[in-house]
Amino acid sequence: MANQSRRDFLKQAALVGTAVTGLSTKSKAAPKNSLSEDRMGVLVDTTVCIGCRKCEWACKTAHNLETPPLESYEDRSVFENRRRPDSKALTVVNEYQKNESEKIPINVKVQCMHCDHPACVSACIVGAFSKQENGSVIWDGDRCIGCRYCMVACPFQVPAFEFEKALKPDIKKCDFCFARTKDGQIPACTEICPVEAITYGRREDLVKAAHEKIKNYPHRYINRVFGESEVGGTSWLYLSSKEFEELEFPKLGKDPAPGVSEAIQHGIFAYFVPPVALYALLGGVMWINKNKKNDQETEI
Amino acid sequence: MRSKIILIVLISSLAIFAQNKKEAHPNLNGISCKTCHSCDIPTKENPCIKPCPRDKMVSINQSPEEGPNVLVIDKFKSQSNIYAPVVFSHRLHAEMSGMAGGCKMCHHYNPPGQVIGCSDCHELMRKRTDVSKPDLKGAYHRQCMQCHRSWSGKVDCVSCHEPNGTNQKNKEQAITEKSSKRIHPQVITPTVLKFDTPKAGGKIVTFYHSQHIDLFGLECQSCHSNESCAKCHIKEKPASLKAKTADQKHAVCSNCHDTKSNCNMCHSSTTKEGFNHKSRTGFDNSKFHASLSCSRCHLEKTKFTGLKGDCINCHGKWTQENFDHKKTGLAFDENHSGIECAECHQEKNYSNPVCKNCHEDKSYPKNVPGKLIKKK
Repeated sequence: MANQSRRDFLKQAALVGTAVTGLSTKSKAAPKNSLSEDRMGVLVDTTVCIGCRKCEWACKTAHNLETPPLESYEDRSVFENRRRPDSKALTVVNEYQKNESEKIPINVKVQCMHCDHPACVSACIVGAFSKQENGSVIWDGDRCIGCRYCMVACPFQVPAFEFEKALKPDIKKCDFCFARTKDGQIPACTEICPVEAITYGRREDLVKAAHEKIKNYPHRYINRVFGESEVGGTSWLYLSSKEFEELEFPKLGKDPAPGVSEAIQHGIFAYFVPPVALYALLGGVMWINKNKKNDQETEI
Repeated sequence: MRSKIILIVLISSLAIFAQNKKEAHPNLNGISCKTCHSCDIPTKENPCIKPCPRDKMVSINQSPEEGPNVLVIDKFKSQSNIYAPVVFSHRLHAEMSGMAGGCKMCHHYNPPGQVIGCSDCHELMRKRTDVSKPDLKGAYHRQCMQCHRSWSGKVDCVSCHEPNGTNQKNKEQAITEKSSKRIHPQVITPTVLKFDTPKAGGKIVTFYHSQHIDLFGLECQSCHSNESCAKCHIKEKPASLKAKTADQKHAVCSNCHDTKSNCNMCHSSTTKEGFNHKSRTGFDNSKFHASLSCSRCHLEKTKFTGLKGDCINCHGKWTQENFDHKKTGLAFDENHSGIECAECHQEKNYSNPVCKNCHEDKSYPKNVPGKLIKKK
């Protein structure tokens, strides 16, 4: 794949495009989106997270990204600004101050949610994104053409683009440590977390554990697991002591995000009707013009 | 024949189990196994302990001296190459937990009989199938951070951990030495507290603190819940904590008392007397009932009225056969041992015995129908 020529690639893209468009009315799910019952997930308990940012360090180390030394992560002044995952940091932790009477702040880790029905997968026109059986949503740099549709489609605005690179810029996002989990390891952030505020496990078990926690500690948690049903469910799930919207989680419905983007895309390209119609229209205009011209010529 | 053998084996195994129960939980009298275990026969391999929260669980508390002085938590030595194991001053922390729940504050699953360590329940490996409770590393850190975070707001690792490679022995020795004597003062329980309140006509609330513990059997954390180090040690309290509404001020009391309609119960213009069962209810419980808990007679929770003072109310009908008179401090001589109760006790509450039914010239307590002994 890596040594593929541009010509080969375009050929393949055209073939795939034709096939996908041809099937589009039937295929609701994105390509390669197999939802295994045993797919993994992470339960983030924001009431437990202490904001030590060890996960940020572990993530960068695991993904060979440039990182300052571990000790420097104890600097809490970074929390003064709200941060987003970008091409240099695939996960970040933010801090939300509670009101004055409760002195302990709330820390929220942000990264790709690894949707069960990922909008990026369905928006990607070359199939560079895929939902893996273990729950990860990963990106294949060899296929990407840099259109950045994924960035627009993502309801969590996670995929980042290496704008600073002139040559071969990549899309960067949390890959659920796909390389590590393939080897039987757990994601780097979940391994380093000192308080295990992020628990890696089967998604199904995590949902159960989350509801059990809410039942047992009704004063500690609000009765909602973010990610259980948002945009059709996500691999990463969150527990919180206050409304998620107050912690700047996006307000999302229960319908999978691809539903929207797919409807538009598939609508445009369904059965090649719009291009054919367009050419037919143009052809029609040409034909009328030609007739007019002929008429004018015969009049003279 | 075969079924008989199976039956015998089954019975004997049950007998062994019963023995084990006593061995495992020597302080557990009259508490059903089902309070803590979900199966009929818990074994060491499968204790089937009920999941949290076990608010009805029976726990024991040890004194700080009974636990280890210093612990080196080196269970993750092989897993971590960043920080050295923590030298944990267990005894000092036990001393500090005095008012915040004692051992239970950290050992939240603390079955009677022994205090169990974190690793008995929490798994060493983070990659595991049971995600209902944190792994051991998470469990340790959560316990520490819960207080340390509210105490200093800091979450830096080096507060507890030395960087890897430093000499652990020195630190261990220093901490051992430091905590070999009591450092944190013992929690003092006041006898009486007088509160000045702004209430007109009832400025003073006299609070018998010791009675609430000794007589009503409350534990520290029944009222002092969620009290961490910061409660006492932080000098500058935020303004929002100082200004309390009337409801907030009454919150601790209203758990048990009706604070909405019965102000005079606690508020008065003068200092109030402590609770006395005889003067309040007319029933003197100091003679034979002093050691009973309130709930033994007052079966309905928070309702303490409506009980009659007659003995038969609770005890049923007494006869010579079912009543051991020695309990009252009087052992009958031979002549009096077979007589019906009512011959001497004519009042319903069995006080003021009379002799005149048989003896014209005798009276109690001048004459005694037996021997006075020490009360049982």
